Amino acid sequence: MSKLIIELTINGKKRKVETTASTRLLDLLRDDLHLTGTKEGCGKGECGACTVIMDGELVASCLVLAPQADGAVITTIEGIGGGNDLDPIQEAFIETGAVQCGFCTPGMILAAKKLLEENPHPDEEEIKRGISGNLCRCTGYQKIFDAIKLAADRLSSRNGGKGEENV
Amino acid sequence: MHQRTVPCQGYFAPQKIEEALEILSGYGKEIKIIAGGTDLLIQYYDRLYEVGSWLDLKNILELKEIKIHQNQMEIGAMVTHAQLEKSEDIKKYFPILSKAAADIGSPQIRNRGTIGGNIVNASPAGDLLAPLMAYGAQFKLLSIKGEKIVSAEDFFLGPKKTILEPAQLLTRIILPLPSERTYGCWIKIGKRKALIIATITLALVVEMDEDNKTVKEVRTCLGSVAPTPIEIKEIRKMMVGQNFKQLDFNQLGQIVEDKISPIDDIRGTREYRKDVAKNIVINALEEIDSARTGRSHK
Repeated sequence: MSKLIIELTINGKKRKVETTASTRLLDLLRDDLHLTGTKEGCGKGECGACTVIMDGELVASCLVLAPQADGAVITTIEGIGGGNDLDPIQEAFIETGAVQCGFCTPGMILAAKKLLEENPHPDEEEIKRGISGNLCRCTGYQKIFDAIKLAADRLSSRNGGKGEENV
Repeated sequence: MHQRTVPCQGYFAPQKIEEALEILSGYGKEIKIIAGGTDLLIQYYDRLYEVGSWLDLKNILELKEIKIHQNQMEIGAMVTHAQLEKSEDIKKYFPILSKAAADIGSPQIRNRGTIGGNIVNASPAGDLLAPLMAYGAQFKLLSIKGEKIVSAEDFFLGPKKTILEPAQLLTRIILPLPSERTYGCWIKIGKRKALIIATITLALVVEMDEDNKTVKEVRTCLGSVAPTPIEIKEIRKMMVGQNFKQLDFNQLGQIVEDKISPIDDIRGTREYRKDVAKNIVINALEEIDSARTGRSHK
């Protein structure tokens, strides 16, 4: 398979990458860009471990070909928070014990991020639907729901009760 | 978002339908058309390298449009399930298509998967297929030789089999706008809410006469009970021209149960599917009855 060059913006940085037509976005992120926070679970779009935000939408990076992401703006877990400066969603996951083995966590946090951007005050049903594409085999989900609720409360009080702004 | 064509042997992302058709006519079966990829990349999970060339439709903007034109709606083949779920026009005119789209997969799948992909993949369990059939959808197929319009009913031949030829591209889904007295019900049965392939689906669309009592037209379409989505035409014979109030819902459910011959598989037995088909038809008729009597307009 011949090589091709694609350009994408990943976590705010423009990147030019050589890839092939049959490389998945997931492999481009992990193997070529060493952004290994994005995980491969099932490889079939069912577990959500490979979730990233692409052009503002939650996607399973195992079901996107790298050239399909040419020109796209992508946020991976590495683009959330910064160093020791955690995103309120990350803080809430730690505080509520929503992380056990941690394999689902990057995808869960990105799904939560997207959910709270669109719906700053989700009820439990809306939270369930928002993370319905992400499996967790450790927590039983309750602590993840708690984390998302806590993050929603913190984000909305930080934004003067509106919670609409992206933090 | 910038749109550009990646210049590469083996990967094409043209901006115009005409270019896509040229490429298709040149490559035929040697090229894979990719839309959202949510079925295709699973199918080729461990053998992506086998695909010699890809034709990616992502840059063809007109395939992403939902338009109302005279008395019909035209949905581009690249419209995603998330777009169908959220579109105010779809919710208004084709509410059960919107609901069926909302029941597909997960947010990640709905953001990528497309209506065109759901159609050409032709899974007997494809969630949008029964609703499309129930709304009388037609599909526009293009090739460099010209266009062909085909009804949903004539398009599907069997599991993963359609009349689509290698050089043809499904570009649009055409739906006649229903009258105001049209009521629909969508029921999907599966083992969990998210990411489930349906055990059985039902799309029931009833159009009432001006008196809002007499049935003018009805389509009872089911998925996952036959090699293709199917309409139970006997229901039409039983219902059209009848007063909705006087219909025997139990009898109608029984007809559906008797007319389908589903298979046993991992998602349910033949017997289970037949029982459930009857019950969901009864539930759907009851739901339509309360929608009909609750308000004069949907």
